[in-house]
Amino acid sequence: MIRLERRASFPKWLGWVIPIASIAAALVAGALLILVSGNDPLDTYSRILDRAFASGEALSATLIAATPLLFTGLAAAAAFKMGVFNIGGQGQFVIGTVTAAWTGLMWGDSLGKAVIPLMILAGVLGGALWAAIAGVLRAWLNTNEIITTLMLNYIAANLASWLIFNSRSYWRLLSGSGLQFPQGKRLPEGSDWPDLSLGSLVLPCGLLIGTAVAVGCWALYRHTRFGFEVSIISDSPEAAAYAGMRTKRKVLAVIALSGGLAGLGGAADVGNFRHVLDPKGLNQSGYGYAGIVIAALARLNPIAVVFVAVLMGGLSNAGRSLQGPDFPAGLVGTLQGMVLFFALGGEVLARYRIRRTVRIPEGVTV
Amino acid sequence: MKRKLLVTLLVGSMLTAAACSDSKKDSGSSGSPLKAAWIYVGPTNDGGWTTAHDNGRKAVEAALGSKVLTTFKENVPEGPEVAQVIDDLVKDGNKIIFATSFGFGDAMLAAAKKYPDVKFEHATGIPNDTPNWSTYYGAGEQSTYLAGMAAGKATKSNTIGFVAPFPIPEVVRHINAYTLGARSVNPQATVKVVWINSWFDPAKERQAAESLVSGGADIIASGGDSPAPGDAAKAAGVGWTGYDSDQGANYPDVWLTAAIYDWGSYYTKEVQAVIDGTWAKGDYYGNIADGFTTIAPYGKRVDDATRALIDAKKADIIAGKFDIFAGPINDQSGAEKVAAGKSIDFGEQMSIQWFVEGVDGEIPA
Repeated sequence: MIRLERRASFPKWLGWVIPIASIAAALVAGALLILVSGNDPLDTYSRILDRAFASGEALSATLIAATPLLFTGLAAAAAFKMGVFNIGGQGQFVIGTVTAAWTGLMWGDSLGKAVIPLMILAGVLGGALWAAIAGVLRAWLNTNEIITTLMLNYIAANLASWLIFNSRSYWRLLSGSGLQFPQGKRLPEGSDWPDLSLGSLVLPCGLLIGTAVAVGCWALYRHTRFGFEVSIISDSPEAAAYAGMRTKRKVLAVIALSGGLAGLGGAADVGNFRHVLDPKGLNQSGYGYAGIVIAALARLNPIAVVFVAVLMGGLSNAGRSLQGPDFPAGLVGTLQGMVLFFALGGEVLARYRIRRTVRIPEGVTV
Repeated sequence: MKRKLLVTLLVGSMLTAAACSDSKKDSGSSGSPLKAAWIYVGPTNDGGWTTAHDNGRKAVEAALGSKVLTTFKENVPEGPEVAQVIDDLVKDGNKIIFATSFGFGDAMLAAAKKYPDVKFEHATGIPNDTPNWSTYYGAGEQSTYLAGMAAGKATKSNTIGFVAPFPIPEVVRHINAYTLGARSVNPQATVKVVWINSWFDPAKERQAAESLVSGGADIIASGGDSPAPGDAAKAAGVGWTGYDSDQGANYPDVWLTAAIYDWGSYYTKEVQAVIDGTWAKGDYYGNIADGFTTIAPYGKRVDDATRALIDAKKADIIAGKFDIFAGPINDQSGAEKVAAGKSIDFGEQMSIQWFVEGVDGEIPA
């Protein structure tokens, strides 16, 4: 019989070896798949590197794809850390785009770049309040937050969609091409978030903010009383309550923090890239759900989330580059899925060891 | 033993792969083919809009052979990713890029300005002065009118259900044409509209169709990209008019017909023009007379008398003897909107935001 047994100790070197070994294993398995599909694995892999990371331009494109994932990854990590399963990153992200877009449209012209902090604030507040609905339900009515946050995603998506497609809302463009197809009003160009250019490499403002926020989250969870209480509550809510910690408030605070991070991502998405409220594109993107995978791969470590988000951004960016008549989108998805599967599988091996146990027949004494 | 098998498999697949990549090189070696690319919002097997465009791409390959090398990107989300996809295609040497979703417009236009040597063509797009920019689409309303005639004759409950994507002029125009067609052969017919706010969402499309059937509709009309309403029709045993793609072979029991577009001829013409160096910018709006729009072959639910009726009407439209939007046309309230002897002019067709009499539904604000 084969059993999984939790490792008593976790040697440091395993923390490095296992991710590398999992990626190597994923590459080998992927190579087989690519071969069977009639393509050249070396060609494929060099193209992934080339189009996702190898040049300033490619890396810039990857960073654009990584920016929203960074925020939703941080959002998921922040909540999961306390065992609060906020699946609502997608909805909180969408609400963040709604509130940030409103702020940008309202004051973008008069304030110029000074509207950016307001957009950030609006995005954070929007996401946090949206998440707080599920937070209150969980903390005081003990409602399962997995279900409520998930349902709130659909409500947020429909709300944003209603603002653009079914109403004459403030966000909607009601002239020009807006008469041909419902779309959002473009935010004033003066309020576009700036990018930092280093030669051919372009770092989006949102990515820089996200990285700083990741460091902040790490410090919050590692070095503050708040973080300490979160880890106690996550280990044993009963013990925490017994020690006098206000667990209900903490649940609400953590879920609002998580929502705020996702909402900030929404603000960055509007300010940095889309510049309009775009419910259709957001719905198609699924950033919130990708964030959950990223948080898991990063072992809920906010600093690691930054790197995993860039890796995932690169994979999705390169994935579209690989696509073509001989390389269907399904194959790209399978490859990406294999990398994730091996990485998460490696994670299990890191935490647990495999033991073969022999069942001792009855009546035999050892 | 097992290991041997694995090695054999490995070597075998490597050889196959080598053979494949060789054959690819061969096909490219005769001259240097022009590279052309398509960007799709949905999957190429959506059974509707994207399938139709990808068949158009295949038609280009079939017609131009080794003179052209085509590629496509499917499932491309509307958003910052589109610019990356275009950059990537340009880097790969594509000289003409077609994008088939309205939401790709901004990224396409920005790219047209960034890469003046590459031709950019946007289906259902908005005209612009940029010299390497073209838009193309067609009068689907003419063929939709004919499909509506088939539905009007086939319905027994006089209730037809329309699964409608977005409340935009293009879709409103098609619903109006469909309703006018249905009522031209059956003045009792009404067309019930359900909005799904999506071009491609099989689950929603099917749900909408099912709710229409339970509301009394015995013919379902698709306005979206997937054949999911056809599945609902099949399950309920009611008739179905599709859109974009001929699905008659896959849904023989429920199929009436569908408004379809001949993307292949247009694509072939444009790609050939780039090869010849004669490409010119334009805003093409094809119609039934030049063969760009037409209807799919009839299913068995369309009887011979109806086929003859529709064929005659089609001939009249082609000959310029019949205008589907000719008055008198009433609006939903029954008040006359277009007087006899007048018509809905092209400008109003492109921005139309009211339903004709016989449509049961409303256009959200």
